[in-house]
Amino acid sequence: MNTFQGAALMVFSLLTAMTLSAGLRGLVRKRIVAVWLAIWTIGALAIVWPRSTFLVARWLGIGRGSDLLLYLSVLFMLVGFFYVYGRFRRLDRQITVLVRRLAIEDAERAESERIPPTTPRDASWSQDAS
Amino acid sequence: MSTSEPTALTQTTPADLTAGASDTSAPVVLPLDVRERTAIVIAAFREARSIGLVVRELRALYPRVIVVDDGSPDATADEAAKAGATVLRHFVNRGQGAALQTGISYALAHGAEFLVTFDADGQHDVADLPALIGPLARGEVDICLGSRFLDRRAEIPFFRRIVLKAAVLFTRVTSRMRLTDAHNGLRAFTRKAGLGIGLQLDRMAHASEIVDQFYRSGLRYREVPVRIRYTAYSLAKGQRNSAALKVAFDYLIGRLTR
Repeated sequence: MNTFQGAALMVFSLLTAMTLSAGLRGLVRKRIVAVWLAIWTIGALAIVWPRSTFLVARWLGIGRGSDLLLYLSVLFMLVGFFYVYGRFRRLDRQITVLVRRLAIEDAERAESERIPPTTPRDASWSQDAS
Repeated sequence: MSTSEPTALTQTTPADLTAGASDTSAPVVLPLDVRERTAIVIAAFREARSIGLVVRELRALYPRVIVVDDGSPDATADEAAKAGATVLRHFVNRGQGAALQTGISYALAHGAEFLVTFDADGQHDVADLPALIGPLARGEVDICLGSRFLDRRAEIPFFRRIVLKAAVLFTRVTSRMRLTDAHNGLRAFTRKAGLGIGLQLDRMAHASEIVDQFYRSGLRYREVPVRIRYTAYSLAKGQRNSAALKVAFDYLIGRLTR
């Protein structure tokens, strides 16, 4: 085992420990813990036994193990981006709903308090609503 | 409306209503009761220079003007309020689509029967409103969309014309509504049509989205020629031609991730 493998293995065991502790403390759902543990295990396996990636790659019809890793990481990143983008859009919409609600409530409060002499309204407007 | 006896001014006769039909030569004024039931919704961002004039022009005939100030750092809200509009404030900028939806929701909650969307930069003409609201008041259609290309008076800058025509093609491909002008901010629709609108695309792509939603509502619609006043101010303030691609992207992503 060379130095790089030793260091990487240490990182992976640390990650595994962190995942397990987060799972035990109930911070992360069990299913998510399992997914992360699988990822760390596969990572560690690929580091300690590099030939394994080659075997999988050849089985899939890809020439080299490192190519397989490259393709997989690009795939994961794209999926990740899409997921984050979807989250971002949803958040964006939620902020808009919030801002809209505040704008309407503010206007209605000002109306009921009859503050603004600059915004004349007559009674028929609110009667229309009924 | 109040059920008090109609005065000569507020009485609506069929003749009054047909007056706005096709004749555009004489100035047409809609009956007061129709104008009172109409809410004009304006989304404004950094329009302190023009909003006062626009609101005053509208308020001379239409008492219900709702300005949604979309988080402008300038005096847009004050100017609009001074001119007599009901002002709603987005305290964070959320985009024109979001602001229009806020105004529409407010107008519907306050009993508006006819709704108009109008631009804040002075590019629309108050004189076009009777031709847009008239068909709604007469019960002919539920949606009237302004089209600058149906108008003989149109003086559209060359490149703007090309971009707008491309937008029309885009809309024909993505929606099934056959329109001559896809991105015109001047529209009038009934309460029924308004209740069917739920704009989710906060920025400029709402123009396509609103057309989609109108189309899916299955309500009757019509295009009405309107005049767009391209002034140095409105061109500088408005969308650059180059923004068109961004809008198209926003719209397509919006449809994918809905």
